[in-house]
Amino acid sequence: MEGFLQALAAGLLIGAVYGLMCVGLGLIFGVMRVINFAHGDFMMLGMYTAFYLFTAAGVQSFFGNAVGPFVSILLAGPVLAVFGYFVHRALISHVSGTRTASLEGEGHYAQLILTLGIALILQNGGLIVFGSVLASIRTPLSSSAWELGPFFDMSIFLNKARSIDMIVSLIMMILLSLLITRTRIGKSLRAAADNPTAATYMGIDVDRAHRTAFALGCGITAIAGGLLATNYPFHPFVGLEYVIVMYAGVVLGGMGSIIGAFWGGMTIGLVQQMSTLILPTQLQNAAIFAVFLLIIFFRPQGFFGRMVERT
Amino acid sequence: MLRIEGLSAGYSAKPVLNDISINVGAGQFVAIVGPNGAGKTTLFKTISGIVKPSGGAITFDGVDLLAVPPPQRAHLGIAHVPEGRQVFPSLTVMENLEMGAMTESGRRDWQSNIERIFEWLPVLKERRSQFAGTMSGGQQQMLAIGRGLASSPKLLMLDEPSMGLAPSTADFIFDRLIEIRRQSGLTMLLVEQRVAEALESADHGYVLEAGHVVLEGNNDTLRADDRVRKAYLGM
Repeated sequence: MEGFLQALAAGLLIGAVYGLMCVGLGLIFGVMRVINFAHGDFMMLGMYTAFYLFTAAGVQSFFGNAVGPFVSILLAGPVLAVFGYFVHRALISHVSGTRTASLEGEGHYAQLILTLGIALILQNGGLIVFGSVLASIRTPLSSSAWELGPFFDMSIFLNKARSIDMIVSLIMMILLSLLITRTRIGKSLRAAADNPTAATYMGIDVDRAHRTAFALGCGITAIAGGLLATNYPFHPFVGLEYVIVMYAGVVLGGMGSIIGAFWGGMTIGLVQQMSTLILPTQLQNAAIFAVFLLIIFFRPQGFFGRMVERT
Repeated sequence: MLRIEGLSAGYSAKPVLNDISINVGAGQFVAIVGPNGAGKTTLFKTISGIVKPSGGAITFDGVDLLAVPPPQRAHLGIAHVPEGRQVFPSLTVMENLEMGAMTESGRRDWQSNIERIFEWLPVLKERRSQFAGTMSGGQQQMLAIGRGLASSPKLLMLDEPSMGLAPSTADFIFDRLIEIRRQSGLTMLLVEQRVAEALESADHGYVLEAGHVVLEGNNDTLRADDRVRKAYLGM
């Protein structure tokens, strides 16, 4: 019982961060319908950006070892958003949006090749610039825990860094939901996702909406990456490990549902941690995909997906 | 207000519109009728910038429309109520109307517009928090019209508002359009397959067949024309 509660708590903590990571990708897919294979590598850049902001850009000396990492991680978001903005402008916009709306397959083939190419460049470029040594954004909080309880002689230990990661993820998620549901920009993003042609008739610049979504998606995933880096070491090829989890989360949540992607990521975190109760740790990822297949078998549209094609 | 001269357009190598000239004066209600595949929807898409013309000119309020990027055209005062309604299914009725009011004039007049829209199309008020995708075809059509009106347009373009609707619903929508026009004096350009109703409500009409304007005139002239009577009015 104690082991179960401990795994549940660990699953919720990591699940919230996975959820945020998936939402970044889900936003891009939901609004643009572009399959971005480079998204894990954008996250890797976010991890290194947070790392260098912390160690080299003076955040550490100014904010200290406990708060500093989180400040750097939050700053990495806007940095990657700007980076994503320009990547969209220079590359992605040529194979997506209104330019390809009339093409057969809406330019999906070109998008596949392009985002795979970007992924390779970022991975190998990362290897040249950052080197292959494992890096991490450790804080003293990463190796200490809060004790919940004891309740009926059971105590649950919550890793302090991971708990703060979860809180930051939830705050980001709430802010993003407010942005998407309440603001003019958010509503126009959803309109552009629902029907790009009709959005153009409303006077919404669909290509600009796509650029906004891409930048936001990169920034959000960068923050999630930074949060993961407080507990997991990373390297230039780390994106490959996460991009699969991201897609599983987005598909579980329902392709195109932005909020659904969060619950998809949360599910994956929970399954990953709970599976350690019955399976060896090496099979964590196998467990994720077993559950993934089961859910897709019974609910192919995902948790929040719509069965109807968009018009 | 809207002047189309010698317009030709099509998809890839297939021409759909051939040397079309159409004039819509301020305050006029102009109907373009014709059979399926005559190019009516393509004409609207060309005006809105979704289809690129291969020749000709369009001016709106003295502005060369073809030089204006498509998303900017709504901001000039053109509201396009598209074929098949195309409301935003995952947005609520109210949010759909807000999307209509993305233009500067729509934002400025939001309060008074929304009151008038709710008065003309009360079903939108009842269902303001419902997701547009869950409404019936007729309700979605009313939402599409309301969304167009929310931009405070100078010109309202309606692409087959009766498409796929029960005859009684279509009649109701025509009735609403006439009432809206009577009260607001809005300039309207209507494309329709229901020729009799369209010619009855409009003051000027064009008959489009296979990409050509084959006939034009005011509604009496058109309704008196033998070809129109035989081909479209079944008389």
